[in-house]
Amino acid sequence: MTTTSGSTTTPDTTSTARGPADTGPADTDPAIEITGLRKRFGRTTALDGLDLTVRRGEVLGLLGPNGAGKSTTIRILLGLLRSDGGEVRLLGGDPWRDAVALHRRLAYVPGDVELWPNLTGGEAIDVLGRLRGGIHRGRRDELCERFDLDPGKKGRTYSKGNRQKVALIAALASDVELLLLDEPTAGLDPLMEAEFQGCIRDVTAAGRTVLLSSHILAQVEVLADRISIIREGRNVETGSLAELRHLTRTSVALETTADASALAALPGIHHFRVDDGLVRFDVDGEAMPGVVARLGGLQVTGLTATPPTLEQLLLRHYGDGAGGDGANGKGRADAPEPAPDPAPGAAASSADASAPASEATPR
Amino acid sequence: MSTATAPARRASEASAPLDPPRPLARTGALLRFMLRRDRIHFFGWTLTLTVMLVYFSGVLRAVFPTPEDLQAIVGFTASPVGALLGGPGFGYDDLTLDRFLVSQYGLYLITAAGFMSIVTVMRHTRHEEQAGRAELVRASAVGRFAPLTAALLVAVLMNLFVAVLYGVVLTAQGADASGSFLFGASVAAAGIAFAGLAATTAQLTAFSRGGTGIAGAALGVAFLVRGLGDMSSAQGGDLGWLSWLSPIGWSQQTAPFVLDRWWPLALSLAFAAAFTVVGYVLTARRDLGSGLVAARRGSPAAAAWLASPFALAFRLQHAGLVGWSLALFVSAIAYGSFAQPLVEGFVDAPPELIAIMGAEDDLLTGYLGLMGVMMAFFATIYAIGSVQSLRSEELDGRGEGVLAAAVGRVGWMTSWLVVSALAVAWLQLLSGVGQAIGASASIGDWSLFGDVVLGHVAHVPAVWVVLAVAGLLYGWLPRWLLAVWALFGYSFIVAMFGPILDLPDLAYDVSPFEHVGEYPGAELSGVAMLVLTGIAVVVAAAGVVGFRRRDLVSD
Repeated sequence: MTTTSGSTTTPDTTSTARGPADTGPADTDPAIEITGLRKRFGRTTALDGLDLTVRRGEVLGLLGPNGAGKSTTIRILLGLLRSDGGEVRLLGGDPWRDAVALHRRLAYVPGDVELWPNLTGGEAIDVLGRLRGGIHRGRRDELCERFDLDPGKKGRTYSKGNRQKVALIAALASDVELLLLDEPTAGLDPLMEAEFQGCIRDVTAAGRTVLLSSHILAQVEVLADRISIIREGRNVETGSLAELRHLTRTSVALETTADASALAALPGIHHFRVDDGLVRFDVDGEAMPGVVARLGGLQVTGLTATPPTLEQLLLRHYGDGAGGDGANGKGRADAPEPAPDPAPGAAASSADASAPASEATPR
Repeated sequence: MSTATAPARRASEASAPLDPPRPLARTGALLRFMLRRDRIHFFGWTLTLTVMLVYFSGVLRAVFPTPEDLQAIVGFTASPVGALLGGPGFGYDDLTLDRFLVSQYGLYLITAAGFMSIVTVMRHTRHEEQAGRAELVRASAVGRFAPLTAALLVAVLMNLFVAVLYGVVLTAQGADASGSFLFGASVAAAGIAFAGLAATTAQLTAFSRGGTGIAGAALGVAFLVRGLGDMSSAQGGDLGWLSWLSPIGWSQQTAPFVLDRWWPLALSLAFAAAFTVVGYVLTARRDLGSGLVAARRGSPAAAAWLASPFALAFRLQHAGLVGWSLALFVSAIAYGSFAQPLVEGFVDAPPELIAIMGAEDDLLTGYLGLMGVMMAFFATIYAIGSVQSLRSEELDGRGEGVLAAAVGRVGWMTSWLVVSALAVAWLQLLSGVGQAIGASASIGDWSLFGDVVLGHVAHVPAVWVVLAVAGLLYGWLPRWLLAVWALFGYSFIVAMFGPILDLPDLAYDVSPFEHVGEYPGAELSGVAMLVLTGIAVVVAAAGVVGFRRRDLVSD
C-alpha cells in the first residue's frame, strides 16, 4: 500500500488517503505514533520522553509554550533531525530511514517560511509540489486566488504573511495523506486565517490527517479533534477539548436564598466563597454530578456555570502551579487534589490521568 | 489672562521647530556597537593580513638570505609575467628583500585589503537592511546617514590598524621605517578606496550579495587593468598608463623603499571620497530596503523542466554562473591577447628565465600553460562559493522545505555538487576558448587554439578535488566549511610562487593543481586527471555519507 500510493499519480494518493475502512490493518494504525522520544542538542534537552499519537483522519492540535519541543518533534517526523531515543512511526514507516517514500504522502508547512530570493512564489509552489511528486494545477490556482497571492513576484519581495501563503498553497495543493503544520498561519491576517480554517475543514472532510502545532488557541479550539499539550519536551495532557475540560474545574456562580455553606465541604469543590449573596466556587469535572444533585435541595434562583477555556487549561499546564484563576493563595490550601499538576514530579500521574480519557473516546 | 496664555503656549509648542534634522545622529553609538559586534571580524581580517605579511617576509628571508640570491630571480620578477603577477618592479636594478617583498607580494595584500573593506561595509549596510535589522535601528533616533557613516568608519579603522601593524612589523624586521609605513599606508589606501566604492554598490541592489558582487567585480577589473599596464611597462610597451586607472595600481605606484612617494595615495582617497558621496546621495534618495533597480516580476508558474533537485540546483546556480562566465571569458581574452607582446618583448630572454616559466622550448606555451592554472583558480573560487551557497540553503531553511518533499539527502546534495562540477568544467572550457581566441588573434596563428583549450580543461579534475573537499567538510563538519580556503590559498601560492620559493617535491604533491601539467608548456598527464577525478568522486561521496548521518542545521 505504501508503495502504490508513493509511486502512482496524485489522484490515486487521494483515494488511498481517504482509505475506505476495508483496506486492511494499515489504515487502522495511527498516522503518527511516538513513544518515549528523546532529543538533545548539546547540553539542552529538547525532548524528554515524549509520547504522541495522531489517529488517521483526525486533526491533532499540538500546544505548548516556546521551546516545549513542538518544532523539534515535527522535524524529527520529517527525518530532518535524528532522534536520540524512543520509537517513532509515521504512516507505518521510519521517518529517518524511509524519509523520501514517506514525504510523498505528506506535506509540511513551517512557521517561518524562507523562499528562494530569485524564484517567484508561483515557481516555488510548483517546485515544492513537484518535488513531492505532483501538484494539482487547478487547485493550486484556486488556492492562489483564495489566499489572494500574486504568484508572479520574486520570493525576496514577499512579506512574511505572503511567504507563509506560498508554503500553505504548496502543501494544500498536493494530494497527501498527512499535513504537518508548524504554526502555519503566523503572519496571516484574520481573513486569511478564516480561509485557512476553511481549507483545513476541506482537508479533514476528505479524510486526511493533520498535525497542527499552534499558538492560536481559537484556531485549535475550532479545528482540533484532540489536543496534546506538551511542556519541556514531555506530553502533559492529551484528549478532546471536552475531555480536557472534564479534567479541570468549572466555575459556578449561584444565587440562593438558602444557606449554601454546606457545599464547601463537598469533595471536588474549591475556592468556595460568598460575595453579596452570590455563591461562587469551582468544581472538579468528576465531582460535578454529586454537586448538581445537591443543588436541587437549595433554593437556587440563578445559576451560571462557566466551562474552563482552553486558555485556562493551558495556563494551568504552562504556568508553574497556576490554578487557572486568580485565587491562588487560597486555592493552594487544598493541595492534595486529583487534577494533574504540571510539576515535573507529577508527570507520571498526569500521564495516567490522560490515558484513560483518550481511550474512552468513542470514534 | 490664563485663558489667553494657554492657547498661545500651545500654539508656540506646535510651531516650535523640532530638533534640526541630524542625518548623522548617533553615528558614534552605532560605531561602538558595530565594533562590539565585529570583535572577531575586525581582528580576524586585520591579523590575518598581518600574518600573511609576516609569512611572506619570513619565507623570503629564509629562501634568499643574501642579495645575491635575490639577484638570481630578478629575471623572472622583472619579466612581463612577473609584472602581471606581482606589479611594477621598482628598484630591481638594486634589489633588496624589502623591495622584492612589496613589489612581488604587495599586490595580494593590497587586493585582500580591498576585499576586506567591501565585505565589512556590505556587512553593516545592505546586509543589515536585507535582514530587517536596519529597520529597527533606523526606527530609533538614528540619522539617515549614520549607519553608512559608521560602517565606513569601521572599514577605515580596520585599514588604519593594518597600516600601523604593517609599518611596525616591517620596521621591526629591520626595514627602513618610512618605506615600511608607506607600504602599510598603501595597503590601507586601497582598502579605503574600495570601502568608498562599496558605499555606492551597497545602494544599487536590494541584496548584499549583489552589492558585494559588483564591488568584487570592480576589484577584479582593477587587478586586471593594472596587471596589463604593468606587463606593458615591463616590456617597454605603451600601455603602461593602464596601471594608473586602478586603485590597486595607485597603491603600487608609491614604490616603498625605492621612490617613497606618498602622492599616488591622494588618488585613492579622492576615489574613496567620490564614491562615498555617491553612496550618500543614493542613500538620501531611496527607500529603506530598496535598491535602485526595482525588483522584476517573474513567471507565475515554474517551467516544466523545473521538477527535480538537479533542475532546482541548476536554476539556483544559474544567475551566478552567467556572471562568472562573462567575467572569466573577458578576462581570458584579455590575458590571451598579451601573447604577442610577450613573445616580442622576450626575444632576448635568458634561457634560465624560460625554464622558470615552466616552458620547455618557448615562452609562449609556458605563459599559456600558466594561464590555464590561473583560470582554474578562478573556477575554484566559484566551486567553493557554490558549496557555501548550499550551506546557506540549509541554514536559511530552504533546504528544509526541499528535504520535507520527496527528496532524499543524497539526491539533494549530489545534485548540487554535480551541477557545481559541471559548472566548473563549463567555466574552464569557456576560459580556454577565451584565452585561445585572445592568444591566436594577437599572434595571428590559430594552430595553438586546440592546445590552449585542452590546457585549460585539463585542470578541471583538480578543481573537482577542491570542490569535493568542500563537500566533505559540508557533510561532516559544516561549521568548518571555510577551512577549504586554506587548501585553495596553499595551492595558489605553490602554483604561482613555487618556482621562486624553491619548494620541496612534497610541497607540490599536496596541491591538486601540480599533477596534470601546465599544457601546452608542459606534458599533460592523463593518468593524473583520472586519479584526481577518482579522488574527487570518493571524497565527495564521503561527504554525502556524512550529510546523510547528521541533523539538518537551521538558524
